[in-house]
Amino acid sequence: MEGNVVTVSATAGDAITFPRLLEKHAVERGNRPAIREKNLGIWQTYTWLQVREEVEALAGGMAALGFQRGDNLAVIGDNRPRLYWAMMAAQCLGGVPVPLYQDAVAQEMVYVLQDADVKFAIVEDQEQVDKLLEVLPQCAALKYLVYDDPRGLRNYQQPQLLSYERLITLGREFNTRHPSHFCDQIAQGNPADVAVMLYTSGTTGKPKGVSHTHTALIHTANVLVEFDGISETDDLLCYLPMAWVGDFLYSYGQAYVTGLCLNCPESTDTVMQCLCEIGPTYYFAPPRVYENILTQVMIRIEDANPLKRRMFRYFIDVARRVGINVLDGKSGIGLIDRMLYAVGELMVYGPLKNVLGLSRIRVAYTGGEAIGPDLFNFYRSMGINLKQLYGMTETCVTVCMQKSGDVKLGTVGAPMPGVEVRLAENGEVLVRSPGMMKEYHGQPEATKSVINAEGFFLTGDAGFFDADGHLIIIDRAKDVGRLAEGSLFAPKYIENKLKFFPYIKEAVAFGDQRKHVTAMINIDGAALGDWAERRNLGYSGYADLAAKSEVYKLIRECIEKVNLDLAADPKLATSQIARFVILHKELDADDGELTRTRKVRRNIIAEKYAVIVDALYSDVDHCEIEAAMKFEDGRSGVVRADLRIGSAKTVVSPEPSVRRKAA
Amino acid sequence: MGPFIEVVLGGLMAGVLYSLVALGFVLIYKASGVFNFAQGAMVLLAALAFARFSEVMPMPVAFVLSALMMVGVAFLIERLVLRHLVNQEGIILFLATFGITYFLEGLGPQLFGDNIYRIDLGMPKEPKLILEKMFDGGLLINLEDFIAAGIAAALVTFLAIFFQKTATGRALRAVADDHQAAQSVGIPLNRIWVIVWSVSGFVALVAGMIWGSKLGVQFSLVLIALKAIPVVILGGFTSVPGAIVGGLIIGVGEKIAEVYLGPIIGGGIENWFAYVLALAFLLIRPEGLFGERHIDRV
Amino acid sequence: MGENAVAHNSSNSAGLDTDTKSTRSQIGEVILALENISLAFGGVQALSDISFDVREHEIRAIIGPNGAGKSSMLNVINGVYHPQQGTIFFKGEKRHQMNPHKVASQGVARTFQNIALFKGMSVLDNLMTGRNLMMKTGILQQALYWGATQREELAHRAKIEEIIDFLEIQAIRKTPVGRLPYGLQKRVELGRALAAEPTMLLLDEPMAGMNVEEKQDMCRFVLDVNEEYGTTIVLIEHDMGVVMDISDRVVVLDYGKKIGDGEPDEVRNNQAVIDAYLGVQH
Repeated sequence: MEGNVVTVSATAGDAITFPRLLEKHAVERGNRPAIREKNLGIWQTYTWLQVREEVEALAGGMAALGFQRGDNLAVIGDNRPRLYWAMMAAQCLGGVPVPLYQDAVAQEMVYVLQDADVKFAIVEDQEQVDKLLEVLPQCAALKYLVYDDPRGLRNYQQPQLLSYERLITLGREFNTRHPSHFCDQIAQGNPADVAVMLYTSGTTGKPKGVSHTHTALIHTANVLVEFDGISETDDLLCYLPMAWVGDFLYSYGQAYVTGLCLNCPESTDTVMQCLCEIGPTYYFAPPRVYENILTQVMIRIEDANPLKRRMFRYFIDVARRVGINVLDGKSGIGLIDRMLYAVGELMVYGPLKNVLGLSRIRVAYTGGEAIGPDLFNFYRSMGINLKQLYGMTETCVTVCMQKSGDVKLGTVGAPMPGVEVRLAENGEVLVRSPGMMKEYHGQPEATKSVINAEGFFLTGDAGFFDADGHLIIIDRAKDVGRLAEGSLFAPKYIENKLKFFPYIKEAVAFGDQRKHVTAMINIDGAALGDWAERRNLGYSGYADLAAKSEVYKLIRECIEKVNLDLAADPKLATSQIARFVILHKELDADDGELTRTRKVRRNIIAEKYAVIVDALYSDVDHCEIEAAMKFEDGRSGVVRADLRIGSAKTVVSPEPSVRRKAA
Repeated sequence: MGPFIEVVLGGLMAGVLYSLVALGFVLIYKASGVFNFAQGAMVLLAALAFARFSEVMPMPVAFVLSALMMVGVAFLIERLVLRHLVNQEGIILFLATFGITYFLEGLGPQLFGDNIYRIDLGMPKEPKLILEKMFDGGLLINLEDFIAAGIAAALVTFLAIFFQKTATGRALRAVADDHQAAQSVGIPLNRIWVIVWSVSGFVALVAGMIWGSKLGVQFSLVLIALKAIPVVILGGFTSVPGAIVGGLIIGVGEKIAEVYLGPIIGGGIENWFAYVLALAFLLIRPEGLFGERHIDRV
Repeated sequence: MGENAVAHNSSNSAGLDTDTKSTRSQIGEVILALENISLAFGGVQALSDISFDVREHEIRAIIGPNGAGKSSMLNVINGVYHPQQGTIFFKGEKRHQMNPHKVASQGVARTFQNIALFKGMSVLDNLMTGRNLMMKTGILQQALYWGATQREELAHRAKIEEIIDFLEIQAIRKTPVGRLPYGLQKRVELGRALAAEPTMLLLDEPMAGMNVEEKQDMCRFVLDVNEEYGTTIVLIEHDMGVVMDISDRVVVLDYGKKIGDGEPDEVRNNQAVIDAYLGVQH
């Protein structure tokens, strides 16, 4: 697992740790911006020197309270500079930051806090403090609880609590008494030490703490720097959960490896506005975010005047036809098309990208989940260099990535330099790379079960290489199924097609071992709400809206379009959706229906809504359902609803002549 | 090509002047929801005052004095009329401005005489030929018009900044939005009204000076000012940019119609063109080009 | 993006935890005392002989069924109505007839049952109007936009930004108020009242028409305002539940008469109050 396969001229092997990178930046680019945060309406900038000073004080404070090498620090909250600094402070002291998902409910945190034996926690605000105080009795080890925002906490008396400011004061005192402690601790750091523990959201079972070493993380970040030429002049917006490997590697990791500037939005609600103000050059988002952005664009277009709408549609069509070829620098584009595209850039794509804050983007990544081809193409045709990558927490994400100019739809690109990918007999993708995790924290058995004797990691994904050596991921190995008559059923493929429609937020397709395919649809409340408003359609809430016959009609049309599309592909023609239902509530991570990264948990949904699934596969035209639901304040209740089952037209015989695939 | 451009330019210049008067309407409408029929009369009054004052004193002094007089008028209108009509229907306030109109139309000539007076702002009157190389025979333009347009542009910019960026501007917008809400946060309604009428009196003064220097100060200014009504219908009652664009469209439109349609359907188009255009707009886009469509949530 | 916005706002225990309440900032002396207030409109007696007081830093609720005279009471405090009988002491001084404008300048701000915001203006502008009373520079200065005006504007803006942060409405800063959902409008109105940095805040049914989640958010904000700024809060509600959780003391009105006064638990067990709420005939 040592860096013997490294082919890039990276710094791996030079005994580099994240704290040493901090020291390096403070010396080399002390006055360049390291991190910005929008606070009280104004972007505040902190230079590398300031960051180093702050981290030193923080580390001093933690040391004063008894934080020692090997201790774990829980970090919970939105992307705030202070939380990033706290992670660094922990690393400086030879400890391990353990970021947690900030929207997890208290009980979900207990497991991680216990598993990681957390003694120190630094959290954003009262909301998180309340959660930790609630579970304090279960987490005996937790001794200190530091909060960033004192709002509402003035009269909390718990002895564990102290403010960030207090910690800094303690730290400065400690550092005057022990002036060399900080540097000594950094000097003691070993690249093979664990640098971070990231708990996987756990599609199955309890979450597992993935331990990564400094070497693995820094190596992987360096590979990416070389691959796409990322430098200190890049800007990026941190808005993805800090607990997600994507944020750790692509925000924190990249910032320390290259010295680029991180930007923290004002709040989770202002991400779009901040994106626009910052205009990042480098952007990483799961497909869901791209989907949301597109949905918002579509809503705005629907609201625009007919002239603008028509112009938008026309130029989007132009972009669809030639945009991707322009982006990839291909030849053979007609002069007229080139001119039309240029006009489109001036009139539509440019302004659109500007509004979305994507006009300075050099590279944009997506991963974590397959992205719908239409969605993917939309951005690329706009001239945004969007690329898919493939990886998971255990491999520091970066296994495969599409290369700029060589992006093939439906693939995730070729393996990255230094990464070996092998396919098992059953099609499962196996990976070996220097970016491999050290272990699952405290679970040697689990570690052994996913890393084989040769050091390959078993991803659980099914895939294959195409003729050019690009990896194609079909689905989770265990999710790919077959219809009763034996033809292929790839649920995610169908769901992605459905989700391209702005009105459909989530979709769950069923069909494994069944006679035909059915789907549960989650409408997008905001998009459809607007739609209903424009039609003067009254509704009293999400459930009511979802049950409207007009909405059923609209969704049916969407499904029929998907069916037509599916029919064009002989392999998938049998996967056309015959019957569907619109759910009365949004699928929610709090109810266990989605993972924290908002992936659909198909099996849990099938189990929970068994009544609906049965109804979908019978002749009835409605079914009653009772569902337990967790409200956001932590209470739970039961929601009852009577759902209608809709049926959709399927195209009976897919004749080759009716193929009408646009792309 | 040359003659056509001349027509368009001529129209644009006339349009600028319409815009100036329309601006007065829009300001008052925005700030108090009152359609101020008296705007024309205010233009006349201001122009008369300025013309007569400048006969006996230097022009800047006359300007300041006339401006002060308009503030005084605004103050009196608030004190004597509007104050007693707080929270009344818009139509009542509208009718009240009719009364104000007749009063001011009488007051002006009474105070300042009813002859035709000249205003000489010292602007060059002679037409000028430009771009002789580009067009056959060159373009004949009027420098005076350009200066007038410049003044109008400066005034509009100033007002836009004032409205958007200052506390008083914000208070004005607040009052325009909701009288009662404004009162409840302690915005003194009376003072705001004085300010609004003063500002539109000031705009009337500038418009009156420019019109007056072109056509002489006379009673017919009131009628020209009425042209501003179709302008605001076109542009939208609540929009400053609307007043400007509306004025330009009408200015250009009626000139083109006069020159190119006139020979076919008979002259005098300039007199009714604006009203027909406004009528058409009321049918297809009642809120005007830039007016706010009301978005209310239930 | 932003899908956990609400989750962020609704901390599970912060708002309604009674433990939190008992440790709140110290309640001080009587700041407002109303003695034997009677108010009639023509022949209708809206308030008859009502006395109660409000202490500094406390949250004082006035509750009662519809038509109990709650809003009239608030309007008396606010200076909109002038009671025919009774005296009002504010900060120890007897108050003479006063208009709302004057009351506002003494540090009393309020919100309204039917939101009185400027629908066509942005949230930011709406909040800025709340500082209108504190604007020092005159119109002529503003017209010429001299340095002083600009500096003043910036200082006010900074204060407003604090409020925006406090109420977590950063995302809607530039949105016209008319486009916001009801619950958010209520929050903006609270913000505008806070902009005046009041010592006393009058809230007229701040939670009317809200769903459970919005109510909890609002409760949290009311408590936070009280705690962070030490603002004395007088609030009207006809929904008993929420109010009991956040108030220090409660006055109960029914048909213009005071039928109960005391701490929430006392009031809850008061027979007259129970009758009024259950609609027992008198």
